[in-house]
Amino acid sequence: MNWQVHLNKLRWLVLSLVMLMLVLIPFLHLYQSYEAAHAYDLLKPGERLIYDSMEFISGPFISDPENDLDGLKGTTWSGTLFGLALSDPLALLGQISASLSLHWSFLLTALIPILLTLLAGRFFCGWICPATFIYELNDNLGTWLRRAGLPISRRKLDRRIKYVVLLMGVLIGMFTGAVMFAAIYPPAILGREIYYAIAVGGFGSGMVFFILTLLFDLLVARRGFCRSICPGGALYSLLGRFRLLRIQRKVETCNDCTKCNAVCQFDLDPWHDDFGQECNNCSACIAVCPTDALVFEMKYKDQPFQGAGHLGQDYKKQQGDIKPASGED
Amino acid sequence: MRRRGFLHTLAKILSIAGFASLPYGLVRFMQPGQVVAGQKHIPLPGALAKEHDFVAACIGCGLCGEVCPPRCVKFYKHTEGAKANTPYIDPAEKACILCARCMEICPTDALSVIPLREIKMGIAQIDRVACYPWVDRGICGACVSICPLGNDAISYEFGNVYRPIVKQACVGCGLCVEVCPEPSLPIRIVDRSEPTIARHGMGIRRKVYE
Repeated sequence: MNWQVHLNKLRWLVLSLVMLMLVLIPFLHLYQSYEAAHAYDLLKPGERLIYDSMEFISGPFISDPENDLDGLKGTTWSGTLFGLALSDPLALLGQISASLSLHWSFLLTALIPILLTLLAGRFFCGWICPATFIYELNDNLGTWLRRAGLPISRRKLDRRIKYVVLLMGVLIGMFTGAVMFAAIYPPAILGREIYYAIAVGGFGSGMVFFILTLLFDLLVARRGFCRSICPGGALYSLLGRFRLLRIQRKVETCNDCTKCNAVCQFDLDPWHDDFGQECNNCSACIAVCPTDALVFEMKYKDQPFQGAGHLGQDYKKQQGDIKPASGED
Repeated sequence: MRRRGFLHTLAKILSIAGFASLPYGLVRFMQPGQVVAGQKHIPLPGALAKEHDFVAACIGCGLCGEVCPPRCVKFYKHTEGAKANTPYIDPAEKACILCARCMEICPTDALSVIPLREIKMGIAQIDRVACYPWVDRGICGACVSICPLGNDAISYEFGNVYRPIVKQACVGCGLCVEVCPEPSLPIRIVDRSEPTIARHGMGIRRKVYE
């Protein structure tokens, strides 16, 4: 049994943890500000509940909540993870295009994500992005609705649209002098809206946009936003074009069952060795493969189509032309 | 002759009307008006000087709001167009305490770390016709007591311990606006090019702090 089969479970764990952290951070922020104000006696019962529960959660790890909690702040758009400042490469691109200048310390915060993307491609899309968590659940909902008989469209949009969106975002940023990506990039919207909802009070307009993208995915195109509109996905695809970590098919153990194609939410074609720059290394195809024919490999290029899987009927037929001849001898 | 009589009558009527309206005109001209209305929204400490530059540098991540201990940082809604999701402070509601955490956490150069006394968020301006001690309607001193910069920024006028005057060291954090007990907010944050005493011109319509 291939150990990589379990990667998909690990991925769901990571996605859930990121989501949990996005919800937890605003509550921790509230706890921190109550603590800084020494205001426990003045809190309302609801606020006191937040204070007590957050104290219970963070108590074992920190000694001085007023300052120590600064180590865990922000969202996946830009934030501090246990003291390490990290930013989305798209935020960097948006800021450069809007202000036409490069801020070096900001580049440093985006450097680790950029290097990881060069190595592992669109891993952010599959493993970290909080919107992916919801989009994948939304896609499962779509499958159920389809099974229940609702006419759900599975239209396929051109994947190259997102590169146009990326280019347009850069150009609009240059002309208007505002970071436009922040308004249409689902993980940025989601992180911000969760923070607004918990710490500021009430959702902003971004949530309307996000719900529209959910409906778009459900009713128009399956995972259509990630596949063909998301500017972040476009940037990561370009950065990860020559990524080193790739899922590859081992033709010797493939039995042509095509489950990988069915399970791929990005509409790629693992069965024909066609992963390309769009693959987000989510490893759903590895988990579903009954013969462990799909594995992560260190390669900077996809291998060309290797032909039918050796355990499949097509291959046996092709071999069948030769084998009886050699067997008769 | 009839025409001359008519002109006399006309002149009398006009002069009576003119003198009668004189008090109204005088009151109209001399009533206090304000040249500058206070800014409802002031920039964050350490923000880039021009708003256009600030909007271009800000990526709208909301970190400044998340680290703010008094939670004074608010964010523009989508109705503000390009300014959407960029931060501001409304000092009348909740003011900045100059803790500098937002400057430290900001990943971009929208907010940069600068010394406390070089922050330029604006400057406080006092309206002397509305401030309680200045109109001899009580003693107060709330703004002077709360000021984090001490006597360099705001202090009492010489010889009268409760009449506040703003000095040039004021950075415009807005704590005085937050604590001011007078509902019309005689102290307010204005642009640094404005004077620290509200000017009352003649015949200028009063602009009220929204």
